[in-house]
Parts: sequence; C-alpha cells; structure tokens
Amino acid sequence: MRQTYDAIIVGSGACGGWAAMELTKAGFKVLMLEAGSRVEPARDFHHTFLYQMEYRGQGKPGLLRRYSGSERNYRIMIDNEENPYTTSPETVYRWGRSRCLGGRTLHWARATDRMADYEFKAASRDGYGMDWAVTYADMKPYYDRVESFIGVSGAVEGLPQFPDGPFLPPMPLNCAEAIFTAACKSLGWRSTHRRLSQLTRAHNGRPPCHYCGNCVNGCDVGAMFNPIAVTLPPALATGSLEIRTDSVVARVRMSSENRAQGVTYIERYTTKSVDVDAKYVVLAASTLENTRLLLLSARGGLANSSGTLGHYMMDQVGGGGVSGILPKLRGGPSRLDDGKAGGITIPNFQNIDKGTERKDFIRGYVMNATGGQTEYPQFAERLPGYGSEWKKEVKSRYVAQARVWNAGAEMLARKENFVELDPEVKDRWGIPVLKIHFAHSDNDHKLIEDFQQRAEELFRKAGGEVMPTARVAPAGFPGGPGSPDAGPTRGRSNEPASGAAAARQRRPLGGSIHEVGTARMSVSPKDGVLNSFCQTHDIPNLYVFGGNAFPSTGDKHPTLTMMALTARGCDHLLEIAKGKTV
Amino acid sequence: MPGPADESPTLKLGREPLDTDPIASDSARMELTRRDLLDLAIRAAALPGAAQFLQAWLSAAPRQQHGTIVQAPPEPPFLRDYQPRFFDAEDFEALSAFTEILIPTDDSPGAREAHCAHYIDFVLQAAAEHAPEMQKQWHAAMATLRAAGFHKADPKGRAALVEAMANPERNRTATHPAYSAYRLIKQQNTFAFYTSRAGMIETLDYRGNTYNLTFPACDHPEHQVV
Repeated sequence: MRQTYDAIIVGSGACGGWAAMELTKAGFKVLMLEAGSRVEPARDFHHTFLYQMEYRGQGKPGLLRRYSGSERNYRIMIDNEENPYTTSPETVYRWGRSRCLGGRTLHWARATDRMADYEFKAASRDGYGMDWAVTYADMKPYYDRVESFIGVSGAVEGLPQFPDGPFLPPMPLNCAEAIFTAACKSLGWRSTHRRLSQLTRAHNGRPPCHYCGNCVNGCDVGAMFNPIAVTLPPALATGSLEIRTDSVVARVRMSSENRAQGVTYIERYTTKSVDVDAKYVVLAASTLENTRLLLLSARGGLANSSGTLGHYMMDQVGGGGVSGILPKLRGGPSRLDDGKAGGITIPNFQNIDKGTERKDFIRGYVMNATGGQTEYPQFAERLPGYGSEWKKEVKSRYVAQARVWNAGAEMLARKENFVELDPEVKDRWGIPVLKIHFAHSDNDHKLIEDFQQRAEELFRKAGGEVMPTARVAPAGFPGGPGSPDAGPTRGRSNEPASGAAAARQRRPLGGSIHEVGTARMSVSPKDGVLNSFCQTHDIPNLYVFGGNAFPSTGDKHPTLTMMALTARGCDHLLEIAKGKTV
Repeated sequence: MPGPADESPTLKLGREPLDTDPIASDSARMELTRRDLLDLAIRAAALPGAAQFLQAWLSAAPRQQHGTIVQAPPEPPFLRDYQPRFFDAEDFEALSAFTEILIPTDDSPGAREAHCAHYIDFVLQAAAEHAPEMQKQWHAAMATLRAAGFHKADPKGRAALVEAMANPERNRTATHPAYSAYRLIKQQNTFAFYTSRAGMIETLDYRGNTYNLTFPACDHPEHQVV
C-alpha cells in the first residue's frame, strides 16, 4: 500500500518553500516534488571573476543557447530544449523559468514590495477588470508574517500606495542614487531605498549581506531570501518534510469523491512514472506551470467550472528606460557601487486616487534608478573611437554610469491573453507543453510611453547625459546570436527612445518575468478558479500558490504578495484540516 | 510560527583603519584580528547553516586586510602560453596589431597585456561545434582587413587604416568597406579587455565581487542636491 502524505507540494520556490515550512511546523507530513535538481551553494555559488572563467561567463560559444542564464548561473535556470513552450504568431513573450530546488528566487532581484488597496480595488476605482477577493487589511498580517521571517531591508515612508513593513535598516545609497534622490525631491516625487529581501544585519540565523553584488548568480551565504537558505531548513528540521528532486509532475489525480487523490510524477532520468497520494495537493510550481498541470489533469482543465482557467494571463510590462552618465560623477574614484545590486524606488504616483487620475491611461508603474561602476562597462563597445583617449573616456564614464528603469508597469488583464496545451509539442518526458497567446493593449503602450517620458525627465533633472543602450553584438559574443542572453524567443526591448518616437514605433513590449493570472481568484465560482485563499472553488483539497490568483498585476513586484497569499492559504488549509469551517 | 525580527546574534567585527594602503576602499579599511576571527567563528558556529558563510569569510579575511584590490585573484595563466589555433600566423599578427591600436598600452595595461588577440582566437576555435557561423563571420572580417591592405601595411599605414575604418562611428554620412570588420573587432576586443584582470581590475579598479563588511554610503554634500 502506498504511503499517504498529509500534503504534496509541487514545486520548491518561494511559495512551495513557504508552504512546506508552514505545514510541517503544524505537524503535517509533507512530500515536496521538484522537477529540477538539488542545488548546493558550496558547489554552485561562488565569487568568480569573469577572467577566471575560460569563456568569461558566456560559456563555450553556442553551448548555452539552450539555457536562459550565463555560465555562472545556468545551473539555476532552465534547459529550454528539455522544456520547450510555443507561442502564437502574434505573441512576443519570453517565459523566464528555473527548474531547480529553490526556483527563481535563487537568482531573483529581491524586490519585496507590498501591494496596496489602490491595486486590490483598482476595478472599483476605474471600472476596468475585477477587484481582488482580498483587501490590504486581509493581506497585512500575512505581509507582516512573511517579511518578519525572511528579513526585508527598507525605509518606512508612510505612503499609502507603498505600504511599509517591519523593515531591517535600509541599504545605504551610493553616489548616483543620492543624486537621483535629490532629483526626485526637486521634481516633487517621493523616492526611497529599494525594498529588498537582502539582510542588512544578521536575522533569524542568517548572516548579513557582504555586498559582493553577485545576487543573480546565487547567494553563497544565504543573505538574500531564497527557500534553500530560509524556508526549507526549518521545514526539514521538523523531520516531516521529504524532498524528491528530479521529479517531474505530470498531472493531478482525482478520486471519485471530487477530491484530489495525489499526483503522478515522472522520474527525470529514469522516466519511470510514480503515483503518490495525499490528503491535500498544493500546486506551487510557478504560475504558468501550475496552470499547465491543471490543464493536463482533466479534459477542459481541472477546477475549471468557470471556464477562466488559462485566461487573463498577464506580465508586468517591460521595456523602456534611460541609461547614460551623471557628469557629477565623471572621472571620480572607483567605489563599490554595485555591491548591493540595489537602487532607489520611485513609487507610482499616478492613478492612485481621484486627485492623480490621468485621462489618457489607467493604472501605473514604478521606477527604479541607480548608477556607478559595474562589473563590465557595457557602454564601452558603443563609445565611438579607440586608443588612449578612448580608454580614458571609458574610465572616466565607468564610475559615472547611471540608469533609470521600469520596475513594474501594470499590464491590463484581458481574456484573450491565455495559455493552452499545445496539441503537438511535448517536453522531454512526453508531457504536452504550453502554447502562449499574449499581446499588449493600447493602454499598456501608453503606460510605457508615459514611463519613458518620466524616466527621461528624471535623468535630465539629475543632470544626466543619455546614451543609447542598443547593442548588436557579433554571433556568440555577449548579446549576439548564440550568447546566453539571446533567448529562444524575442524578448524585451531595452532601447531608449523619446516618448514621441516610442509612440510612433510601437515596438513590441516585453515582460518582466512577473507572469501572473490564468487561474484568478474570485468571490463567485463563476468568475474565477480560486477563492481568496487560493483554494480551488471546485475541489476542496486542491490549492494553487503562485501568481495564478492575481486578477490584476498591480505595479509591485509580485513575489511578496504570492508568498503572503501562500501564508494566508496555508492558514486556511490548516483550519480546514482541523475540521473547522472557514 | 516565525518569531520576532532579529533574535539572532549580530555579527560584529572589530575594525581599524588601514593607513598603509591608499587604494583600499572605504569598505575595506578595516582589519580582522585573530581575536575577531575567533569571535566570529564562535558566533557563526551558533547559527544554523552558517558553516559555508564562515568558510567564505575566513578565506576572504586575510585578503581583505590588504584592501579590496587584493581580493581580486590572479588571472589564470592559460592565455599567457596559448598558441593560436583559429587564425593563421598572418591573420593573428594582424589581429594582435589591430587590438593594440584599439586599446594601446599607456599608463595602464592594454590589449597586449590582456592577451586580447589570444582570447579571441581561443573563443573562435571553440566555436566550431556549436556556433560555426561565428567562425565564418571572423574569417570574412579578416579577409576584409587583408583586402584593405592592413596585413601588409607598416605601423603608420595601419594606424591610418584604422582611423579611416573607424570614421563612420562619428560621421554617420561616412562609409568604409571595412567598417563592419572594425566594429566586430572593436566589440570583441573591448569585451576581451574589460573582462580581463588587466582591464577590469588594473585599469578600471572594479571593487565588486568581494567580501565587504559595509556598503560605502554616499557622503558627498554635492550629491545631495541637483
């Protein structure tokens, strides 16, 4: 007879790790299934200088095309050949993924921002889309719980559109960030330190950040939040968590009583099919993988009585931005400018209430800015000239680099943006892959055009000199065909353009690796797949944690909200398990 | 459930300014004494999962005492003894000369010290299996250089040729048949140089990728206003 677990958690990322910790601490016997490999920080995460690597981070020419990452971090990305996806002809979308223990938070940007009621209740304000089934008051205790545990550095600002939390001290500002802060003040814009789940002092048994700036290659000491350093160790310490890596879940199996009985997974290397059972099934395999599993598990999709499963796919709109130099910093001494990989945040200040309403678009965006020296001077290849004068110019500009980027622009939810199972293409294990249908609306374009104008305004106010960022590199070299950063699908455009030029050109917009939706939460089962606890309306012992529940993107980075929803959902699951009606 | 924030012991290290090292960054102007390290070891041992952190700190600490720049490890020797495998002797000589015109040795190292031509050759010979289009692109570029007379020109002639090839960079109405070859070599030479130790550390004085106790906050009054 097969062992029955209290819960099976599919996926080990931010949400899966949190759920494992909550459920095992409550006494649940939990099986976690992770499609990727175990990650060993001592083996996989190092301070490696580019010149110590034969291919300077690019890998053998052409070899890393199949991965999304670089030579330093491809182990914590995904093998695109093993895990393909397809897109409809009109779609320009790059689905950034990781398959490894810990998921994308092993290399994430660590931005940890709370959403606010102007986002949760946006539909009530401007009439577009659907309100969330939760309010900020519902979410606040869970934001508090998650932030207190993982540790978030930041400054208390008292802005209603950018709610505060129990922050650790903020990361200090470098010179470029100080100048941008002064520019914001001069423009009358509020700005603050980027809120990062990156420790500024020892916290819950973890050491503080040592300011190496290597975050996207995996933190070697666990000073930034990721499950392998933060949530999985206490879960494992309970003795109630079993983790099986290299286990590719193929579907959720149902019982005859309309309950999830368990899942079937395929052993990654042996391709053996294995059934496991549990009282509760928790999908936490990332937003689109969760939806893929629901689509794979029943004709027409599991838990899809609403008919909305797969629909309303969103990703915060990417693209735009300004880069160049700040003349005040030109020719100055080298400093550890990129050691925290941070910046400043300018919270959205438009369409947050009646007084800030724009006539030409709805919703808003958040801007970030930073500058100073970087590991590699990207601009140098585009700087005209050569010789000693050119070298001096490179060095002079190197410490004065600056950029303003779009940290998150709300993309409107539209039913016609959806995912489905591709009828022909399968992954390495014979499992049908997702086909993505994704296009931007006129409002999305207007938002980015406005962002571009504001970014240029900020840059000018800071005294900055704009430099084009477009780069066309030779094949196999950084940015060129065959290099790791040349993805399998067309990606975001980072080319700056004036607002007017951008409006004329209407380039395809990119995403932000913040994909959400496709199983949205709703008060009524007719309107969505999940309730406000991320429990499926249709199947009481099936929960879906990730970005699936989002009825709108908001303009904040989504991970913290996903984790807070997970914490809230776990409370609900545990109450149900105790026999209490919630 | 998770406890209140920051219940764990804080790691604090004694520090003294390092007056002997003028190039040490603010963040590295500190010294870890033997007692500090022992204290750190005791504190860190009490933290669950801190073994890797401790190991990293202990290995970095002696280097940190001598300033950030010393933390950057030496360059592996393989390019120093590298023999070209992709370019023939004439093309390699021409490429080497070209890279040294683009990034000369002056009061800081140049393409010669960074072995840029060697690195480009190394990457290209490795492209045969997965990126053969790169090899074609570079063979075509070197053929263009040869046709432009670069290979046979003397140093003065070579300098004049590079100046002419580079002209369209600044003058958008200008053209040159070898401009794309110039751009190709410049792009890869720039990458080769500024990812080498000679370019990244010795020329640009990059401070990141190191272990630091603090982040240097901006304390310049002139940066607090615009």
